[in-house]
Amino acid sequence: MIDILNGCREVGDTVVLYPQNYINGIEGEKLEQVCETFIEKGIRKVVIDFSETDIVNSIGVSILIGIIEKIKEAEGVVLFSSLSKINIEVFRIVGLTKLIPSFATEADAIKEMSGAGTQIGG
Amino acid sequence: MPDIDPSLEKLIFNLNTLSELGTEITSANDFKRIVKSSLFMVMGSFSASKGVLYTYDSERLLFSPIASKGLTEPAGGLRLSATAMKGLAEHSRPIDLHSGESAVSLLGQASERLIRLGLKVVGFLVVRDELLGMIVISGNVGGEKYSNYDLQLLSVMAQNIAFSLQSHSLLKRLMQKYNENKELYENLRRIYYDTIHAFAAAIDAKDAYTKGHSHRVATYSAVVAKEMGWSDERIEGIRIAGLLHDIGKIAVDKTIINKPSGLNGHESVEINSHPIVGYEILSKIKFPWKGIPFMTRNHHEKIDGTGYPDRLAGDDIPQGARIVTLVDAFDAMTTDRPYRRRLSFVDAMSELKAHTSTQFDSDVVYSFVSVLKKEATGRAKSSTILPLLDEKLDTEKVSVFLKELF
Repeated sequence: MIDILNGCREVGDTVVLYPQNYINGIEGEKLEQVCETFIEKGIRKVVIDFSETDIVNSIGVSILIGIIEKIKEAEGVVLFSSLSKINIEVFRIVGLTKLIPSFATEADAIKEMSGAGTQIGG
Repeated sequence: MPDIDPSLEKLIFNLNTLSELGTEITSANDFKRIVKSSLFMVMGSFSASKGVLYTYDSERLLFSPIASKGLTEPAGGLRLSATAMKGLAEHSRPIDLHSGESAVSLLGQASERLIRLGLKVVGFLVVRDELLGMIVISGNVGGEKYSNYDLQLLSVMAQNIAFSLQSHSLLKRLMQKYNENKELYENLRRIYYDTIHAFAAAIDAKDAYTKGHSHRVATYSAVVAKEMGWSDERIEGIRIAGLLHDIGKIAVDKTIINKPSGLNGHESVEINSHPIVGYEILSKIKFPWKGIPFMTRNHHEKIDGTGYPDRLAGDDIPQGARIVTLVDAFDAMTTDRPYRRRLSFVDAMSELKAHTSTQFDSDVVYSFVSVLKKEATGRAKSSTILPLLDEKLDTEKVSVFLKELF
């Protein structure tokens, strides 16, 4: 059973999303809705942490792009963290590494957020 | 269009996606899910933020969206001329909506609409020169141009999705045909039943006193057969046999059937011929149920072998005929006849009891009484026999009587 709402937590003015492996199926679309809910609440800083995600596939990429677009529309910031080697490679292939900065750990990404502006940087 | 060789890693990623797409479109998943997953896979492979999958209805000349993602307004339907459709069906290569290719002009206003939605590249879904739909995606979120390799990949993915659409369309058409045939069958079945009921009414109409007799015999037979554990199909058969068991009377002179006094020898022979006449009529009809002609022929046999026309005894009489025999006699006894008034329920049941194992099969009598007991005590789901009797009965007394008699 997918528990998307438990797949996220708020740290100050930042929300951390944990896509796990359900991002690789159309159920992952619900993560976009969760993200929208946070945006409606005024949150503009989102960290997507992949420590619990094995390999992101093409469906996962399309869902991540959906999330990135929503945050971009809200003039927010999104950062990736805890990417495995294989996922760094996947993101490089599909061009996401040029769009979203990634950090070794969730803590590093949150730390970066504390001084972040509101633009997505590559 | 840039002609860049993809890296080995990209080839592996795309190959993996093609494999997942193949698995998805051949899965037993719900069609909507397959379509959505396919669209997401294409969009993920090309890092596209917007995408729509359309199916094409060749009768309405209309593209209808069946899945979309990332759009800021509804995709809506796209109408195109038959000539444009024919031209597009020949165009298996994906096209860039911003290019000056002839296929873009074939799309006409639809092309402008797709551009307004933020879409850029179209992959046509074609199987054996039949246009089944199209998949349309936006540009790459990173702003990179699609290479020739990308368009080739889109073409392969579109072919896979096209086969999925075709399978679904075939299945849909098959289901439509099945439903049409089912409806046709239901209509035929209704006509069939109406005809049989009309026959039954014609049979009963020959005898002023036996109005509704065939219907009651049919109903009683069915309920007894059910009590004896018959299958639904066999029960339907005995119901039809009940409706038609007296069809041979059509050949008997009406004055004989309605004669108020005793019959002479010739008249008895004629009336007693009705089971054989009925058998001869019904054996020429190919019924979907077994045994109807013999249930008709042998419904005046007696269990001790003294009945007619074949003087069969015991189990040689088909069980269906033994059921019809009993309920036919019961109805004859409990309704007025030209030559006598009806018997009371109590007297009729006493007659049945008196002739059990000589005229009537004891198993059938047992089941018949069992039905009556259930109806009298309210244990039956619904009463069938007691409400059809002319006599108003006190069910409590009936229950006590049956318990004492049987």
